[in-house]
Amino acid sequence: MTVVNEKKTTARAAPSSETSVLGWMRKNLFGSAFNSILTVVTLYVIYLTVKGLWSWGIADAVWIADTRRQCFGISIDGACWAGVIAWLDNIFYGRYPREELWRINLGLVLLIIWMVPLWLPRVKAKIFIGLSTVFLYPFLAGYLFAGGDKDIFMQVMVSAAILCLIGNTLHSIISVMTGNSLAETLIRVLNVKNASEKSQRNILIAILGVGFALVYVWQMGWYVESVSWTKWGGLFLTMVIAGIGIASALPGGIFLALGRRSNLPVIRIISTAFIELFRSVPLITVLFMATTMFPLFMPEGFILNKLTQVIIAVCLFNACYMAETVRAGLQAIPKGQFEGAHTIGLGYWGTMGFIVMPQALKHMIPNIVGIFIGLLKDTTLVSIIGLFDILSMLRAISKDTPWLGLHKEPLLFGAMLFFLLCFVMSKYSRHMEAKLSTTHKN
Amino acid sequence: MTVNDRLKESERVKPKSQFDFFHDERVRSIFYQLLIAAIVGWTVWYLVTTTANNLEARGMKSGFNFLGVEAGFDTDFRLIDYTVGIGTYGDIFLIGILNTLYISVMAIIAMTFLGFIVGVLRLSSNWLVAKVALAYVEIFRNTPLLIQIIFWYTGIFSLLPKVRKSYDLSGGFETIFLNNRGFYMPWPVAGDGLWMTGIAVVIAIIAILIYRRWAHKRQDTTGQITPLFLPSAGLIILLPAAVFLITGSPLGWDTPRLEGFNFTGGAALPPSFLALFVALTIYHSAYMAETVRAGILSVNQGQHDAALAIGLRPGRVMKLVIIPQAMPAIVPPMISKWMDVVKNSSLAIAIGFPDLVAVFMSTSLNQAGHAIEIVGMTMAFYMFISLSISGLLNIYNKRVQLVER
Repeated sequence: MTVVNEKKTTARAAPSSETSVLGWMRKNLFGSAFNSILTVVTLYVIYLTVKGLWSWGIADAVWIADTRRQCFGISIDGACWAGVIAWLDNIFYGRYPREELWRINLGLVLLIIWMVPLWLPRVKAKIFIGLSTVFLYPFLAGYLFAGGDKDIFMQVMVSAAILCLIGNTLHSIISVMTGNSLAETLIRVLNVKNASEKSQRNILIAILGVGFALVYVWQMGWYVESVSWTKWGGLFLTMVIAGIGIASALPGGIFLALGRRSNLPVIRIISTAFIELFRSVPLITVLFMATTMFPLFMPEGFILNKLTQVIIAVCLFNACYMAETVRAGLQAIPKGQFEGAHTIGLGYWGTMGFIVMPQALKHMIPNIVGIFIGLLKDTTLVSIIGLFDILSMLRAISKDTPWLGLHKEPLLFGAMLFFLLCFVMSKYSRHMEAKLSTTHKN
Repeated sequence: MTVNDRLKESERVKPKSQFDFFHDERVRSIFYQLLIAAIVGWTVWYLVTTTANNLEARGMKSGFNFLGVEAGFDTDFRLIDYTVGIGTYGDIFLIGILNTLYISVMAIIAMTFLGFIVGVLRLSSNWLVAKVALAYVEIFRNTPLLIQIIFWYTGIFSLLPKVRKSYDLSGGFETIFLNNRGFYMPWPVAGDGLWMTGIAVVIAIIAILIYRRWAHKRQDTTGQITPLFLPSAGLIILLPAAVFLITGSPLGWDTPRLEGFNFTGGAALPPSFLALFVALTIYHSAYMAETVRAGILSVNQGQHDAALAIGLRPGRVMKLVIIPQAMPAIVPPMISKWMDVVKNSSLAIAIGFPDLVAVFMSTSLNQAGHAIEIVGMTMAFYMFISLSISGLLNIYNKRVQLVER
């Protein structure tokens, strides 16, 4: 017997415990007697913490003063942020000449212009833009920051970087507006759409050549004053070291990981030994090794400056950590993927480059970004071996005569700055992982 | 059929039997390996010869004889006897190693406990508690450890009251003190016959092990559960206590006393130790908490439900079902976190705690030279620790894998 009810019954509303605020609170905060006590105690602890921080850091804090004594005169139990504010330029730029600060700011702006297309929709050739950021931007920025006379190699690289920046920007603007790439637009504008593919390509190469020549001639007259690396400092120096470290850690890590998983025993043993050597010692010992032993390794008369030594050490160290992460990603790739790639006739580099690596790296995005975050945090270690990075600057405030003994506020400011950078990076990595994920979610 | 087959076979393209030197996989692999080996070998040879030349040109001596030379400086904190003017660089090396191990072991114990607590709180059904634990983890993971260490040192422990105004942490008994010179606490002094109490402890532990085995066997054969915790606890406390009292309480306490400008007696920990300990513990407990959380989450919800369905009490579900399955996911990352603590304890140099890097790689290297030997010895120590820990990990993994189905 079947009973068919013609009338549709209307759905009952969800119980109030599922929808109302009170219901949510009863479920998540006051589920049992123990839970209620826990909630109340936690609320009280939060209240105490927030109240203490608020009154010390904001309500009773001093924002404008000339010395620490004045701070105390205005408020004895508040924070003295005036010291941090007075030192802001030093914290961000170190001892870089004040009239040349525009160069650092310009470098940052150029980097942003360079990288913005990576996040824009409808822009093609993002891989090229990304690679050019890693391989060309450093030369342009390096000249901008260091200045002085350019040798021929530097001239070529700076020209290439400027040309690439112009091309990238034009390409992105055109792409966003019309959806076509720069090359397509050029072809259309020059009205050679009907010409053979080969002559089209030749025309583009010719335009590129002319552009390069023009830029090259222009940059020959471009000169900025030389600023010694010893004047670099603050957050700027931290970012330079971390930036180079981040840019080189991933490629280095990929090669070391491939070496460690290679079938060729000699390559495998050397890669493994290298990775394990650097992973088993603290970064600070590697930095000490770089500053005390690199000079002994170099032939006489050849002197590496301390900044270069430190950057080499940071790169080697992080490449080894990255290698282990990449290796973990490689191990997660099923064997069928390798075999499938072989079946369709791909060689070793084809298999790795087109099939295995993209999957492995996608898998490991949060871990890779985790290493980047670690690298950024670890750059503070260079202050121990005497570079004037952001931490040295923060510590120097307490030794400056007007601000003698001001320890907490600068360090808290630095901690907040790092927290902001690292937190954004890790949140963004989660977002990327979710966006790139192709697995089915259940 | 067979004729057909044979015909086809003759038509088939034969695989290239010719040996193609440039496209043979074995030749290539040997070639690449030789190439890499040659490059690495040449680099090493080049580095060694230039270094030797440089050393000769600068008139620097090499060798490990400097370890027997007197060091001529003292350290703030040490676990062995050492006199300035007599103690050698070898003693300094030993002091550094012991200090590094001491701070590392202390921080490892504390951070493991704290990490477990925060990790479990992260999964609390109480929304507020879970969010507070999350904030703790995010705040301490995303700020550099070095800034945290320096903050605790310069911002907290160095700003404590002076010696004469010390905090009395024992609540009026004047035995435990905290001031800007460090932390002072009583230290036990062994009297005659304390060894008998020690033996009692050993006997108690053996008895507990035997009792547990017997209880397990009883449960396996009869199904009856014997209470384990209370008898074990009673045994380990009561037996040594009884022996201790019978032998006449052979234990004295050396308490810190204010004499002149400082405390004498008892055990003292300098502010740099305290700052490093607190910073390492908090920073790493945030990482540890995430490991614990991931491990517990890795156990399928079905396991939890099934255990409840067969009538286990919630406490037993945790103990018998969830934890044993979560441990294989927790232990390997946990041990690598321990290794991180050992490595990060080297940041002690920033606040002047005399760990291995500070006293040996920095002070001794500046005084005695011998960069290569000193850097090599320091790195060798960390590598030794690292290899021992990963050896332990391998043993654990093998044991866990045997159980796995």
